[in-house]
Amino acid sequence: MNGSSVRLTADPAEELAGRDVRRLTRGAAAARAELTILGRAGDVFGHLVTGATVIALLGGSLQSFRTRMPGTTRPLIGPPLPGAVTVLAVSVMALAGVVFVLDRLGPLNATPAAAAWWLPLPAGRRGLLLGQLARTTGVVLAVAIGVAVAPVVALTSHPTPATALIGLGWAAAPTAVVLAVTAVLQTRDRSGLLAPVAGAIAVLTALVVLTLAATTAIVPGALRLPATLAPPTWVEAALGALAVLLLAVAARGLDRISAAQLRGRGAVAGYAAASVLSLDTRDLGRALSGPSRRPRHSRRFAFVTRAWIAGCAADVAVLARDRLRWGQLVLAVGIPELVAHIRATGSVPLAIWAACAAGWLLAAVAVAAPARAANATPAIDRLLPLSTSEVVRTRFVVPLVVLAVVCGLTGLLLGLGAGGAGEWSVIALAGAPSWAAAALRGAYRPDLDWSGELLATPFGPVPVGVVATMLQGIDVGVVGSLPLLLAFLHGGPTPALIAGQLAWSVGLSAIALSGLARRLGRPR
Amino acid sequence: MADGADADGAEADGADLLRADRLLVGYGGTSVCAPVTLGLAPGRSLAVVGTNGAGKSTLLLTLAGLLPPIAGSVDFDGEPVDERRAGFRRAVATVLDDDAFFAALTGREHLLLTARGHGVTGADDAVAAEVEAFGLGERIDAVPSRLSSGQRRRLALASAFVRPARLILLDEPERRLDPGMRARLARRLAAQRDTGTAVLFASHDADLVQAVADDVLTVDEHACTLVDAARGAAYLGGL
Repeated sequence: MNGSSVRLTADPAEELAGRDVRRLTRGAAAARAELTILGRAGDVFGHLVTGATVIALLGGSLQSFRTRMPGTTRPLIGPPLPGAVTVLAVSVMALAGVVFVLDRLGPLNATPAAAAWWLPLPAGRRGLLLGQLARTTGVVLAVAIGVAVAPVVALTSHPTPATALIGLGWAAAPTAVVLAVTAVLQTRDRSGLLAPVAGAIAVLTALVVLTLAATTAIVPGALRLPATLAPPTWVEAALGALAVLLLAVAARGLDRISAAQLRGRGAVAGYAAASVLSLDTRDLGRALSGPSRRPRHSRRFAFVTRAWIAGCAADVAVLARDRLRWGQLVLAVGIPELVAHIRATGSVPLAIWAACAAGWLLAAVAVAAPARAANATPAIDRLLPLSTSEVVRTRFVVPLVVLAVVCGLTGLLLGLGAGGAGEWSVIALAGAPSWAAAALRGAYRPDLDWSGELLATPFGPVPVGVVATMLQGIDVGVVGSLPLLLAFLHGGPTPALIAGQLAWSVGLSAIALSGLARRLGRPR
Repeated sequence: MADGADADGAEADGADLLRADRLLVGYGGTSVCAPVTLGLAPGRSLAVVGTNGAGKSTLLLTLAGLLPPIAGSVDFDGEPVDERRAGFRRAVATVLDDDAFFAALTGREHLLLTARGHGVTGADDAVAAEVEAFGLGERIDAVPSRLSSGQRRRLALASAFVRPARLILLDEPERRLDPGMRARLARRLAAQRDTGTAVLFASHDADLVQAVADDVLTVDEHACTLVDAARGAAYLGGL
């Protein structure tokens, strides 16, 4: 090795600035890429057309949803909450979701390559990260506007370009503000603080909606709430200006972001991106769930006298220590209640049923966390002297109890507004076994087989049977709730529907669990 | 000089380039090893040894400013370590356990980025010298995915030598290298030390430790203790 004979000298004046480092990296990569400017333009055009088509389809579907679905004239679940409340609740929950994701991912982060080759350079972080801040802002705003286009156009009585622009502005401006706030906090080394706060705000909002809906149902007219939410347009402009100001502050502070933080957030983003690209939503949840805390107290499990009780006790301990799961359970009850009390959707049986399914799916995902961990580390299930079918039955207990509470409570609250709280809560409760089985089926679903046949799609190759695999779990829950849909369409649960729901749900869960036990019993 | 001691801590020399005082390292407030007090002067080298999971990499990350300490302090050149300062990044070359590269850049482009990023005079010549020194030959013009894991390791190590540094910080530099390359690396590190660069590295290789280190810091959860290179190598043999 004779490199030691070279005495290196460096001139700080000759060091590359951050912008030059980015340019050099991009230039070297571009020189090797076969993509021409024309090809790139074609790609952009293709993406724009796809996006516009999706938005048009969504808008059209929403409009026909409003006008064609049965029962559009009469609210199904009592009087709707004022638009001011529902719009505010939906907006707050959506923004909380945006903050949660942005805070977990940075919003600024470094890929492992950038962490290893860019961050150790003397180049200022501002120059290195400014491009990423601009890109992140653009992507987040594009997504916010894209998501808002369909509802803004479809749910406005007489949309004009001006009202559409104002409506989209209401989606973009607050989103830009929360993005800028997360970026500013990151430059102050306070990243990671907002995600739990955002989760708490979303849960609090759900609780407020639940309280208002229950109060309105029990004592109609007891609450005097504003009918519409029509803040002046200057507020929107002010929010936009605030976002620009905060983004400028964030840009000025980019030099203060530590490599440790950029590396850490980059690892989370990489994990999340890999989960999305490998179509494994279980891993995505793990990536975004944040760091685990050391428990304050050690449990003694004195009441555990049988192996299956030990399994259930472990499931309860895992769930009890994870506040994110508690929040998910509250949201699971809040989502159907919110949809049922929105004027546009509250009179559409299918919409309320879909909201129930979405909420209960959220609860099933939350309660399946221990089973997902066991699927990722099969040794966990081998710790106890239980056969495979006993393991499955043991893991079914806690989800069944929790989902019985969630489904029963959802039915009770819907029933308070619709009349017949008892019948609604019983029919919802009867659906709990299928959702508990769905939780296990989803948690233990097989990994996608990327070594087998692949299917060419516009988004790249995917394994054959990807949809069937990804829907494992959801399928049992949704199909198991079909009698509830009949109850919504019929205008209320009948004794026959309740009995049918119970038999159908129990039967489906038994089939799903026995199939799962058989599959897990085979050598993996 | 390099000195080190456990929690009761020997006083480090005033001329130390890198100095840690009762430094407690770990994650989420939980320490992974006993507190560390050490000092490393220019032209000296210190090896960090210990079992898997003893906390060597965590200690190196903290010394490099990539992980905040739980307690205690780390100073570089009399200032608290802050990798956000360009001056710190100019002076400290680190190769940790990353095996990360830009997928579309060749090995040579990675080294040029580092050299030019540091304003190295005659960057092309400096890169050519390191390509030869690390035996990368024509493979240097391949993208990283076309290199073997050992060649990628050589490339990463070359990045520490392709720019000037007052302190070189390496985490298990011998990893994935063949015996011949390990011996050459040992000679290179010793030569670098002799030109006044401080060298700090974690290692499981007794030969590398004995060839390069002036002192050895043994790391475990009960105590972090400074011993001489021979005892450090013997300690490694007993692990």
